[in-house]
Amino acid sequence: MGMRVQPAVIGCTIRPVIAARDRSLEEMIYDTAQLALADAGITIEDVDGIVVAANDQFDGRSISVMMASGPVGGVDRDIMSTPSASEHAFILGALRVATGQFRTQLVVSWSPTETSSMAEAQRLGTDPYFHRGLPLDELSAHALQASAVERAEPRARAAAEAVAEKNRAHGRAAWPNPPVQTQPGPLRWPIMPTMTTAPVTGSVAMVLAAPDFIAERGLRDVAWLQGMGWATEPSFLGDRDLTSAPALAAAARQAYATAGITDPASAFDLAEVTDATPYAELLAYEALSLCPRVDWQAQATDGSLARGGRLPVNLSGGVLTWNPVFCTGLIRVAEVANQIRGRAGAHQLPNVRRGLAHAGSGFAMQYQAAMVLGREARA
Amino acid sequence: MELLERQEVWNITYHHALGETASWFYTRIRDEAAIYGRRCSKTGRVLVPPRSFSDETLLPTTDWVKVGPGGRIEAFTMVYEKFNNLPDPPYAFGYVLLDGADTALGGYFKGIDLTDPQAAAAKLKIGTRVVATFAPERKGEMLDFWFELAAYNCVHEVAEG
Amino acid sequence: MSGDRVGIIGIGQSEFCSRRDDASYPELVREGVVRAMQDANLDFDAIEAVVYSLSPDAMIGIGNAERLGVDAVGGRNKPFLRINNGGATGISAVAAAYYHVASGMFDVVLTAGADKIGECGDSQTILNKIWDPSYERPLPLGTINMLAMSAVRYMQRYGMTEEDMARVTVKNRRHASLNPKAHLRRIVSIEDVLASRLISWPIKLMDCCPQSSGGAAMVLASEKFIRGNHLDAVWITGVGHSAETYWMGDRMGNNPTAEHADAYALGRSFEKSYRMAGVTDPARQVHVAELYAPFSNTEFHSIDAARLVSRPGESVARLRDGEFDIGGKIPVNPSGGTLCTNAIAVTAMARVAEVALQVWGRAGEHQVEGARLGIASGNGGDHQIFGTMVIEA
Repeated sequence: MGMRVQPAVIGCTIRPVIAARDRSLEEMIYDTAQLALADAGITIEDVDGIVVAANDQFDGRSISVMMASGPVGGVDRDIMSTPSASEHAFILGALRVATGQFRTQLVVSWSPTETSSMAEAQRLGTDPYFHRGLPLDELSAHALQASAVERAEPRARAAAEAVAEKNRAHGRAAWPNPPVQTQPGPLRWPIMPTMTTAPVTGSVAMVLAAPDFIAERGLRDVAWLQGMGWATEPSFLGDRDLTSAPALAAAARQAYATAGITDPASAFDLAEVTDATPYAELLAYEALSLCPRVDWQAQATDGSLARGGRLPVNLSGGVLTWNPVFCTGLIRVAEVANQIRGRAGAHQLPNVRRGLAHAGSGFAMQYQAAMVLGREARA
Repeated sequence: MELLERQEVWNITYHHALGETASWFYTRIRDEAAIYGRRCSKTGRVLVPPRSFSDETLLPTTDWVKVGPGGRIEAFTMVYEKFNNLPDPPYAFGYVLLDGADTALGGYFKGIDLTDPQAAAAKLKIGTRVVATFAPERKGEMLDFWFELAAYNCVHEVAEG
Repeated sequence: MSGDRVGIIGIGQSEFCSRRDDASYPELVREGVVRAMQDANLDFDAIEAVVYSLSPDAMIGIGNAERLGVDAVGGRNKPFLRINNGGATGISAVAAAYYHVASGMFDVVLTAGADKIGECGDSQTILNKIWDPSYERPLPLGTINMLAMSAVRYMQRYGMTEEDMARVTVKNRRHASLNPKAHLRRIVSIEDVLASRLISWPIKLMDCCPQSSGGAAMVLASEKFIRGNHLDAVWITGVGHSAETYWMGDRMGNNPTAEHADAYALGRSFEKSYRMAGVTDPARQVHVAELYAPFSNTEFHSIDAARLVSRPGESVARLRDGEFDIGGKIPVNPSGGTLCTNAIAVTAMARVAEVALQVWGRAGEHQVEGARLGIASGNGGDHQIFGTMVIEA
């Protein structure tokens, strides 16, 4: 079913790495919100509602929206919080605009690295009934999925290495100044240190608006939301088919149906996929119908999915390049929006008419979402 | 039916960046035994504790303004119940509008007999004058200071007989 | 805007109590869900999306505990997201579900959650961690003493006494005795409340909400679906959220915009939902109210903010006159309210559920006669984020 009112992205700021420690978390959030408003060319008075997303355990605050509400302009304003995933803030914001009751929404997410152990904080996400005793953090869950995928598809390892190499090369080109300097992730067999990077502090914000607001303000550089779908896998890893991504397939079906996409492999000028690991990226290719698994190795190595190929994936360099853990999903949406708006800087692809954003998060990509964005309101 | 239980404890350490504004505020407490607020550029209101921007105007704050040490009680309570990881009761704390500030700052009230709640509430009533009092050795944190009733109040009571 | 409305077609609540050693957290969620699905007379296949209601993870002891609740809500491969607006979470979750339907994307949406507070020995510790580490964390702040300070200011501004506070508890316990879902149902007297243990002056034990465990769920649907399937429903005609400053000290001092004694942002939130619902004279148009008030004193500023009286502070005298009792002019918290039942993650959803039952004529022994328009509210954070709704028959 379609949206009553079609939202578009009118402003974005992506802050994939914030190394300085001279701003408190709240000040960092303030800076991010201000940048997004400036990029949209609006003031806070133009904002009808706000949705934020952050993880209480990463933040060290029991209710992350509380102290963050001031910095994002929440005083005397309608503000809600979706701590399940950064991309969920975008989804709720888009739904609110779609009702016709809100002309604009500011969406903000952040991911600090102030906890002594991200892995420890993540482990608290396991249930105390059965799984808490296991060393199960997000990377471990990804590793379990990766090993399942390798067993099901013997060429997956070679394809994963090629995907990582692609994203690394994209990352070098995307962020030349200053060049990317991150730490490799740990070894969690079969995930190699070269396949992930250590968490960094980051933040992202976007402004959504309804068509009448856009027309009224004469805004030109906007990215229209042509379709959106999201879904979740079940709770326990053991209940899931870890060799595929059924929730993402469901989400993609919903997004493609609304956007009128019948041949996904050829419908987009580019895609941004949440590569929590290269294996997650491969599974996303399949679930999004961009590249079936029989072609993973071939297309990962022959340049089809790299810059210059038929469907460049992760020109931003992906999560492998910058890993602000909680924000990585929403950043993919922002990257695609920026590509359509011509604001992607060093990694801009010329003439992007339509792009696909994939956002995934949680243990082995439990939450999945797909957004189709385009320069035109209709395909 | 045998029902089992499992104990879990959350224990995570954080290192929170305070930022320049809060950091400077604490260095003044530590080195000068003084409390400062920041002025909102649009309204001129002096915000205490200080922040680098006002959440009402979303504009950066400008200059530092020394406030107190005198002030008036804006809100208080006395706690008589023990909660895990919080101090042993009884204790009194609340918010004080320091002289020169437009917003109130939180802190403990010390030196008041809390055995009779009604009497203590009368002593701490809104509007009571207090003084920010500093520890002789300070680390640069909120617990370096607290509030005590100003001598003025005691004199006033004596005069009333 | 008839034809385009969002209705409530199913409601489920646990019988709330302290400890539920017989059930895990997901099982409590399932309990609320099953009841709501039975009430709506739907199969799980009919649910097109889920909004999960969960406030601080630390209370449950599981980070992002909603992930564990996916199965309990039948969420596999379905659109699913979670809301956390502190204590307001439950009403915010219903609001989010409302937006799912009102967007045009979905016809049937489930919202659900549960809390298991009795298992967490440190709820005030967790609630202390909602304050910022920069300044206020070292102070012994918690939700009880924060609202005790609100009481102190309300006393000074409007003359409320401890006896006035006790009257709220007496009223709500009497109401709760008629509500089989409520946690604290024992009738008490003013003397009982005044004699109860002092926690944080002036709040005593019986001025406080309990820590409750249980689940709640609601099914929302589009008017198109409701008419097409000839279903019975009540309607969400007004929705709004607003927030005030996080800084409590800014709600005091010189000319604060939001006064800590009052509930400024709750008033602003009601302005939005009233405007949407076309309610211009709440004191005349509202028949019943479920206002989130975990401490007796906070019911007063909630009534003031909902404009059920003509000026702030008047709620005290009107309550004394019996205006807010079942049988009175505008019953407030006929379920017993948050003061008698507080499963934090869903307590504000229960407010919506109870008002819905009232205007639906299904509130059983605590039914308000002839109620056709009701209001609900939820408070979150340090008395900071407020959600409100108007529900009509």
